[in-house]
Amino acid sequence: MSDTVKLIIDGKEITASSEDTILLAAEKNGIEIPNLCYLKEMSPYGACGMCVVEAEGSPKLLRACSAKVAEGMVINTMGERALKARKIALELIMGDHKGDCIGPCKLNCPAHTDCQKYVKEISDGDYEGAVRTIKDVIPLPASIGRVCPHPCETACRRQFVEEPISIAYLKAFAADEILKSGKHIIPEKKASTGKTVAIIGGGPAGLSAAVKLAENGHSVSVYDKMPKMGGMLRYGIPEYRLPKKVLDAEIAEIEMLGVKMVNNITIGKDITLSEIREKYDAVLIANGAWKSSSIRCPGEDLEGVFGGIDFLRAVALGESPAIGKKTAIVGGGNTAMDACRTAVRLGAEEVSIIYRRTRDEMPAEDIEIEEAMEEGVNFRFLTNPAEIIGKDGKVCAVKLQVMKLGEPDEKGRRSPVPVEGEFITLELDSIIIAAGQKNDPAGFEDIATTKWGTISADEITYATSLLGVFAAGDTTNSGASIAIKAIAEANEAAKFIDAYLEGIEIPYKKAVISEIDPTEDMFTEYEKYPRIRMPQRAPEDRRNDFTEINLGLTPEEAKAEAKRCLSCGCHDYGHCKLIKYADSYCTDCKRLKGEYHEGFKETRLEVIARDQHKCILCGLCVRTCEEIAKKGILGLVGRGFDTVIRPEFRNTDIASICASCKKCAQVCPTGALRIL
Amino acid sequence: MCENCGNSDLSLLNDIFAKMAENGDNLITVLQKAQEIYGYLPTDVLYEIAEKTGASPAKVIGVATFYTQFRLKKVGKYLILLCKGTACHVNGADGIEKAICEELKIKDGDTTEDGLFSLKTVACLGCCSLSPVMMINEETYGSLTPARTVEILREIRRREEA
Amino acid sequence: MRIVIGEGSCGIAAGASKVHERLSLALKDTDINIGIAGCIGMCFLEPIIDIYDGKLLLKRLVRVSPDSAEEIAEALKNNDLSALDKLEISESDSVFLKKQTRIALRRCGLIDPESIDAYTSDGGYTALKKVLTEMSPEDVIEEIKISGLAGRGGAGFPTWFKWNAARRSQGEEKYLICNADEGDPGAFMDRAVIESDPHTLIEGMLIGAYAIGAQNAYVYVRAEYPLAIVRLQKAINEATEKGYLGKNILGTDFSCFLKIKAGAGAFVCGEETALIESLEGKRGMPRLKPPFPAEKGYENKPSNINNVETFANVSWIIENGGKAFSAMGTENSKGTKVFALTGKIKRGGLVEIPMGLTLREVIYDIGGGIRDDKEFKAVQLGGPSGGCIPKELLDTVIDYKALSATGAIMGSGGMVVMDEGTCMVNMARFFLDFTTKESCGKCVHCRIGTKRMFEILTRITEGNGKDGDIELLEELCDGIRSGALCGLGQTAPNPVLTTIKYFRNEYEAHINEKRCPAGECAALRTYVIDKDKCKGCTLCAKKCPVNAISGTVKEAHIIDTDKCIKCGQCKDVCRFGAVEVR
Repeated sequence: MSDTVKLIIDGKEITASSEDTILLAAEKNGIEIPNLCYLKEMSPYGACGMCVVEAEGSPKLLRACSAKVAEGMVINTMGERALKARKIALELIMGDHKGDCIGPCKLNCPAHTDCQKYVKEISDGDYEGAVRTIKDVIPLPASIGRVCPHPCETACRRQFVEEPISIAYLKAFAADEILKSGKHIIPEKKASTGKTVAIIGGGPAGLSAAVKLAENGHSVSVYDKMPKMGGMLRYGIPEYRLPKKVLDAEIAEIEMLGVKMVNNITIGKDITLSEIREKYDAVLIANGAWKSSSIRCPGEDLEGVFGGIDFLRAVALGESPAIGKKTAIVGGGNTAMDACRTAVRLGAEEVSIIYRRTRDEMPAEDIEIEEAMEEGVNFRFLTNPAEIIGKDGKVCAVKLQVMKLGEPDEKGRRSPVPVEGEFITLELDSIIIAAGQKNDPAGFEDIATTKWGTISADEITYATSLLGVFAAGDTTNSGASIAIKAIAEANEAAKFIDAYLEGIEIPYKKAVISEIDPTEDMFTEYEKYPRIRMPQRAPEDRRNDFTEINLGLTPEEAKAEAKRCLSCGCHDYGHCKLIKYADSYCTDCKRLKGEYHEGFKETRLEVIARDQHKCILCGLCVRTCEEIAKKGILGLVGRGFDTVIRPEFRNTDIASICASCKKCAQVCPTGALRIL
Repeated sequence: MCENCGNSDLSLLNDIFAKMAENGDNLITVLQKAQEIYGYLPTDVLYEIAEKTGASPAKVIGVATFYTQFRLKKVGKYLILLCKGTACHVNGADGIEKAICEELKIKDGDTTEDGLFSLKTVACLGCCSLSPVMMINEETYGSLTPARTVEILREIRRREEA
Repeated sequence: MRIVIGEGSCGIAAGASKVHERLSLALKDTDINIGIAGCIGMCFLEPIIDIYDGKLLLKRLVRVSPDSAEEIAEALKNNDLSALDKLEISESDSVFLKKQTRIALRRCGLIDPESIDAYTSDGGYTALKKVLTEMSPEDVIEEIKISGLAGRGGAGFPTWFKWNAARRSQGEEKYLICNADEGDPGAFMDRAVIESDPHTLIEGMLIGAYAIGAQNAYVYVRAEYPLAIVRLQKAINEATEKGYLGKNILGTDFSCFLKIKAGAGAFVCGEETALIESLEGKRGMPRLKPPFPAEKGYENKPSNINNVETFANVSWIIENGGKAFSAMGTENSKGTKVFALTGKIKRGGLVEIPMGLTLREVIYDIGGGIRDDKEFKAVQLGGPSGGCIPKELLDTVIDYKALSATGAIMGSGGMVVMDEGTCMVNMARFFLDFTTKESCGKCVHCRIGTKRMFEILTRITEGNGKDGDIELLEELCDGIRSGALCGLGQTAPNPVLTTIKYFRNEYEAHINEKRCPAGECAALRTYVIDKDKCKGCTLCAKKCPVNAISGTVKEAHIIDTDKCIKCGQCKDVCRFGAVEVR
């Protein structure tokens, strides 16, 4: 009895059966109308409001899932009104959808390393898989795992249970295991493009970009002014934290990929930037920030005054800087910690840290501070050098201004202010200024810089003012930061260099994702299980030499630690219909946030885990269970905003009634249902 | 086994089931009749209803939690239905609610510790001209003031204590 | 002589049953008959007693207290009605009824709702007879078409059109359903009709069933109306006994069975597809339309749903002709409409007026204006789906189109009057609180959208409103209106939109100045003690739960506004009126 009708959808003339809905007719003709609560096998439901379309002559939007086609209809599926309606529908759904699309560890890692994934792989004993996952982003996992200040752990939700997962050490563990096994994990390389790229600087940024570009089939040469590759990892991080044989092994793998390494080349001296530009199709500058910053204090030019990174580099090169018996290090960051602990190892008897704020404000990692204290470093908080005093052109003491913390500013930060007239004098043989570092512009004068003198690089494409020249890492924009940030920038830069070489454009769009605002009460269901402590050499032992202080985790320890992971990132991300639409229709999915509906997690069906926090009440699971699986064990409970979906209320036996067909989870358009 | 399961005398339901088909009673009607018997809907009663009506337990709980008339928890001997309709709102129903809550030390939806009173606010009792209005069991009280409301509650309590 | 006591729910709540009891006792040895009637609509005067000689109304006594029963009995026994003059309705209050034109309510409060004889002796069921013996279903539909009767539940859809669609729909089995799930807070005309004149509803339904060809009919009554259910059931029983209901009605081929289904508390079940779901014993969640109930309704059979008041007009139209009905009203709104006039009004109750009167005429001429001589601020029409109409628009005529143009709607007939002490932001919040609680939860826009609107309105009334909140509300209103699945959601923004439209300054005062112009929002009030009035009795200081009040005995006290939690207990407890709210 069905007749055919002619209609127009999005300008396309279509013939459809008069029994068809607009959605079905569109689908048959390759036009996708978005929907979240529709399934062809079942009668339309009308909950999500995503399938609304405009029909010429109709003041109201039509729900395409239920409205039938009619002769002469003119449908516009992408009209302004329809798009607006979908946007608000999605914003409403997203504002009541409580879940993390991506684990906070991955999100907070500047390079977006998939921590959740490799932690899971480690807990499964799949170390090779873990290293592959890490190497997707970081070419030096054993090295970075040792030195990274791990923003991933800062964000880790496990801290709401007790403490974050020891993600960085797990990374080092997996990489060490693979290195020990003698296996090389080297990425697949695409066919050669015939294009050449020069990378200036063989530190974490340069090497990361080199790997990415080599993977894509480009011929890559890395130039570095130092005798060996590794940059700050080699010349800024002391051996006791990162043994250089670990770094050597990892760099060797990069070389195996076919990256050409050229050392002892200084730009502007051995070769000019323009010469390089001529020789190569593209250039990435990643030469870092290797100059110690001054503290503008009288006496800084005296003999016995060292820059923090200069001091560390000298030691790394096997020199023995003359620091004497009494030394002090100015600064509170990781470089200051590295410097003071190195000084201890060089035999200094009295090593002090001079820092103008208190321990709470110290930017160095807690563990580093603790370890330094264990090794006998003396911390002089709330002091600031007023003058470095010399005798015969050589440092003999430092006059310290006593400081106190001022009133908190708008952001709650208390800056140090001098206590008028209060000074301490500290007798010294040397002083190490570890108060920051900056880039050296020599050789790069042709490139536009920022007001701080760093190379100005586009924050998305990393392009500089010179065509085909890109820049990333410490040498750019806001200057020195952590290694993983340099890696992140280098990976991004590599993507745009690749596009530049291929002559394509990459449109930029920030992906819309769902994130929770965690509070402790959301995590009460988990049993407390303390974080693993890295076994270490005893302070009195380790302070005498440069052998690595960390002893590494055992596989048992690592697996147990990895099992603590809460798996915050959604299993469905990548398949989730909701986030796909949110990404294409919304600009701000947190705008309509408010109170959330009641959420809970449950696994009573045994084959299916339900996270009701993520449920959008599309009703597909309920209807599938009833109409397709013919079980009817899922039901809507309550009314209005408080409606939830639960398996029936009987506590016993429910799993045995469930057909275990898993269809409910298969049709779920979000990550609310997970097959166990 | 589960909350509110109770050990209800399920034989009391037999009459309802027997006449169900003849009366053309739907699930809602059956639940209404069951609530009349037990005063609320204990879980074992819901199960029995599911069993005998052939509706899935999920469906029965779905219906029982959708309508405000149905109660899954025991209520007090006196159920106060406080109208919060428009006319009552305009004429000060919030003040009446405050007075009741303070007097009985309960919130909307709660029952007093002694099990004497339960309070439930409702959308509209349809006695708008007498607003603000409340209904205690079958009796309607209109033109309330906070003081009069408290007096009514105390009177009931006095009667009960006597 | 006989007396009739108004015993609708309002009357009973006001004490009519107690009056009845005492009078029965006082008159037990006399031949004076005590009868009951339903609600005459003058709720502000309840309890009401009418004294008749035969059919002649001798005297109408109002606000009768149980304690005056003996006095009344004495006067009746002595046949000295002048003794009751002080209880008689005043001239000015009589205006309330005089200015009305009653069709749907024509027998309400005048006949005994529990007696079919009272109904038939007043001409009841003659229209049914006429229809069954003289008219074809098409004739009936035609007559209704001529009358211009439109759905009184709120939407105002032409009744004949729905009947015709159901009539034409394929199917042997059809259903006629009466929507008596009067859920609008502030509306109670359907309850009054069922309690006061159930046979008029039954007769109207039977005519409708005949017109569309239905053999089965249901009245879906909300459970909050127990008296209505009892009286309607009694009426059904009597009508069945007398052959007006059931098989072969009045000896014709027409059979129709009528059943009551009690709702279980869900406003959304006023929406016709949700009502059908509920009638089937399911969760009352609206269905997608199409298919419309006329094609697939109850049990997937063609069904027609009308509201109580709509049916209550039908027998009158058949008796008097469609033309007589359409002679009343305006060009696009015919006949009369019943309103439940409540709020800050002097004379509140049920009002039936011809379409075309102005709001002012209803509120001032019939309702007597604002109570306590306060200033009129707004009138709310249409409940949670409607809107607030301000003073400037008081001369708007009552007509579907004209009312819609204001942003409000005719609605089912709730008419809540507000004075200067009503905060319009809080009013919008009140309705959104209602909608949020009553949303079925099926579609996203209504379930989450109304919740968000409620949250925003709440923060505004609590003094936490933000710049941009008004615009955000407007945006949400627009989105919800176009995206929600059913009428409940689509109209939920109306109270917000109209209050923003007419009282934007109040929203702005809350948001920008943290001030509630009406002084209703507790969080935005400031309590101060007038030092001239304060006698220093210390009562307020003792009562204050947060010790925000200080002062020594016999000296003026002071409220520390930083500590004050604005609970108002000091004001309640002060015997000298010294605590002021600013």
